[in-house]
Amino acid sequence: MISRREFLRSALALGGGVLFVPKHLYGENSFPHFFFTQIRYRGGAWDPNPQFVEAMVEELELRTSIDGARERRALELSDPDLFYSPFLFMAGKYEFEPLTPQEREILRRYLTFGGFLFAEDTLGVKGYGFDRAFRAEIKRVFPGQELKRLPLDHPVYQSFYLINQIGGRQPISPYFEGVILDQWTPVIYSQNDLSGAWSRDKLGKWVYECTPGGEAQRSLAFKAGINVIVYSLTSDYKKDLVHHPFIKKRLNP
Amino acid sequence: MTWKDITLSPLLPLWLILALLGLGVLALILQYPRLRTRVGRSRCLWLSALRLGALLLLIGCFLDPASTERVEKKSSPTLALFVDTSSTMALPGRGGKSRLEEGIALLLGGEKPLLKSLSERFEVQVYALGESTRPVEAGEVSKLKPAGSRGDPAAAVEKLSSRNVLPVLLSDGRVKWEGKGSLRLPFFTVPVGDPGDYRDIWIETLKAPAVAFRGREVRVEAVVKSHGFQALTLPVSLRDGQKLLTAQSIRIQGDSAEIPLSLSFTLEDVGPHHLSLSVPPQAGEGSALNNSFPFSLRVARDKVRILMISGHPSLNYRYLRMAFKSDPSIDLLSFVILRTPTDVLNVPLQEQSLIPFPVETLFSKELPQFDLLVLDDFSFHLYVKPAYLEKVREFVKAGGGLAMIGGPNLLDGGKYSGTPMEDVLPVSTAGKGEYQREIAAKVKLTRSGGSHPITRLEATEKENLDLWKEMPALDGINRVQMKTSATALLEGGDGIPSPIISVGKYGQGRVLVLATDYSWKWYMGMVGRGRGQWAYHRFVERTVRWLTKDPGLDPIQVLLPEDRFRRGQKKEVRVRVQSQEESPETQGAVHFSVLDPMGVKIGAEFKISGRPGEYLASFAPEKEGTYKLKVETAGGSVEESVEISEPIEERDGLPDHERLRMIAESTGGKFISSKEDLLPELLSAVGKRESRYLEERRTPLWAHFSLPALILALLSAEWYFRRRWGLI
Repeated sequence: MISRREFLRSALALGGGVLFVPKHLYGENSFPHFFFTQIRYRGGAWDPNPQFVEAMVEELELRTSIDGARERRALELSDPDLFYSPFLFMAGKYEFEPLTPQEREILRRYLTFGGFLFAEDTLGVKGYGFDRAFRAEIKRVFPGQELKRLPLDHPVYQSFYLINQIGGRQPISPYFEGVILDQWTPVIYSQNDLSGAWSRDKLGKWVYECTPGGEAQRSLAFKAGINVIVYSLTSDYKKDLVHHPFIKKRLNP
Repeated sequence: MTWKDITLSPLLPLWLILALLGLGVLALILQYPRLRTRVGRSRCLWLSALRLGALLLLIGCFLDPASTERVEKKSSPTLALFVDTSSTMALPGRGGKSRLEEGIALLLGGEKPLLKSLSERFEVQVYALGESTRPVEAGEVSKLKPAGSRGDPAAAVEKLSSRNVLPVLLSDGRVKWEGKGSLRLPFFTVPVGDPGDYRDIWIETLKAPAVAFRGREVRVEAVVKSHGFQALTLPVSLRDGQKLLTAQSIRIQGDSAEIPLSLSFTLEDVGPHHLSLSVPPQAGEGSALNNSFPFSLRVARDKVRILMISGHPSLNYRYLRMAFKSDPSIDLLSFVILRTPTDVLNVPLQEQSLIPFPVETLFSKELPQFDLLVLDDFSFHLYVKPAYLEKVREFVKAGGGLAMIGGPNLLDGGKYSGTPMEDVLPVSTAGKGEYQREIAAKVKLTRSGGSHPITRLEATEKENLDLWKEMPALDGINRVQMKTSATALLEGGDGIPSPIISVGKYGQGRVLVLATDYSWKWYMGMVGRGRGQWAYHRFVERTVRWLTKDPGLDPIQVLLPEDRFRRGQKKEVRVRVQSQEESPETQGAVHFSVLDPMGVKIGAEFKISGRPGEYLASFAPEKEGTYKLKVETAGGSVEESVEISEPIEERDGLPDHERLRMIAESTGGKFISSKEDLLPELLSAVGKRESRYLEERRTPLWAHFSLPALILALLSAEWYFRRRWGLI
């Protein structure tokens, strides 16, 4: 039996569909070189930091050669535009509904063939809420795999800045976790709420305080964010032999 | 003549002759009572006797009686004189003559020529013994010329029609001899040339791989031999054409020396190389030809080396990198511009991973080491001096591949106007390659794109067309203007007739312009539709192979055998021709031709191998030097060259009289070193080999006129008496 909420959602979608046919049905959607695509999942709270994009992309453009779009596209995993997303973002505080087998299959295909997902537990409690649900989903998407700590020589710590901690709104863990497939890490996960540290309101004020490190901790969060974005676009480029002597010298002066 | 000398050879089966006789006698008996009623008994008996006589004589004819005469006769063996005409017979012999001239003088020289003396006593047949054996008339002996590889006297004797022969071999001893053969005839061997006086230095053997990899060490092993030289230090040099690759000194100590040596070198240019190992000729050497050893070596890429420079991190870079990295035959060096000069640098150098872009090293030194340069939306003017683009032009002109990938910095966005790239690119920089975003450009194949290796991703034309129609739309393209010399493979559909993929050639190199920075959508778009990433990977792989001139993409390929070509040896070459649907260059019949080092067309076989699009060509090179193999179709042609070297066994020109002695001794013949001894020795040998036999001569009796006359007389007498006695 259909619920009242589902009925209203379907009716609105139908009405909107007649008036505003989604672009992708015509195959006309356009995709900037870099933009955030946020997964809209069922249950929990899929959008804990709605204002993280502007400041992050601004910093990205200011410091790197990446030409990012200051927009965020929210979509469900069944949306075909998922495959044109350079950077998939998933965040939340609370436990969410398990993905359907079809959604898992799409996510597995996207990630296995080169897609990238950055996920954040903005609550920052291990084994609870979003953290528990996400870890369980990762095990289902990649049977036999689980989120593991990314060692400090992982290219994500060296892709732009040389960092050894990741900052964030809350310093739950100094390192990223991830799923590694061969030379590629399609999933990177944090519980430090980096997107919370990036969030800025329309008046230019930071939405959250970064505790206990303050602005230095926020700065680290931006560096870590830039590194994650550069990694998503360059893969293990910094592991090429040509970079070795420089990075080694800078890490061990 | 006695009755014993009479023999019968019935012309018909004996039973038939007896049956005819029986019938005749029966007819006589049956007609006797009828005749008796008309004449008296004596007359009747007389007529029957005449008839019986004629019948017996006629029947006797069918038995073919003949008188046989037997005469005892003597038979002398034929003298088979084999004159060695192999190429070593051109080397110095005694008395300032070549060995063949020395041999001819031995046969034809002097007041009483030996050949004439032999011909007076024996039946003599002269044979020229080379790669093949052929009979020559006595008058042709003086015109014999040395050529070809060693002859095989045992095989030559086997082919003679008569078995009653006495073989005589006139040679320097450089003949094949394995002691095999069913005849085992005694050979009389006569040496020419003088081993004691012969001086020579030669490269006896050379071992080299047929294929080497670019930039990897190649080792060549050789053996240098010498005879008649002492205390000599010589350089042995290995050259690629005129270019010296490496050299090594050798010291010749004894009178007969054998010096093994090993030389190492590396080659950087992919393709066939015609090399030669040589020792400088010395005064008094018997032959200078064997001082060098030419050989061919094909240098292949172990890996395709790609230098990729990306203007900024992007999915275009990452998916291209993934495609390159997934191909084990590609060695990628990439640089991504992570920050532009205008970007803010908010941390000390020690806290960032950016490395200096080694422009100077890359463009002025390292570039020629690469096979392909990929410039991915790279705005050169911010990082590279215009002078370095001249290096890029030289790189392409010399055979390097160049791929320019689109985006805002493709042509004049990257300030390429007025630079050497104007000459190199297949598109005009004058149009500035205006970049357009958010246009959702579908793509369609051009006519050329349907069959070009880069865009031909599917087996059939229709499948290929459908595949490109299915490819996701591009969100950004550069509006480029093609040069007339360029070819468009892919263009925008839906009213955007702008070339997306343009290819062209500059000098020896190939160039491609991909006028979009959204080709990565062909990867993830197809993955999203469940079609996998194969189409994008194949597109990238074939682009790399075409730009780097991978011979495997050539519509016509000549595949040479790995082992070396030798003069006089028939060799087989495989020719692969793509179907006409795959390549317009292969339209029409396929022709194969071979040109010798003088440019003269020689005979060659060409047939279908049985595999689709594959042919087998074969030819037998007769000369040393570079042969050209040409495969032609109505749409195109391809040329390959092979180096033909002298077979190794002929490089050693030292007269081998010990071999002649061994041939004579092992067959029961004689090694005769003196001209004066030759005739008496042969006479003695012939006397021992003379044979006696009975000759039978048969004279048919009925062939004599008297027999038919007698038959006619008997029949006439019978007719006469019957008429006289009134019977007719």
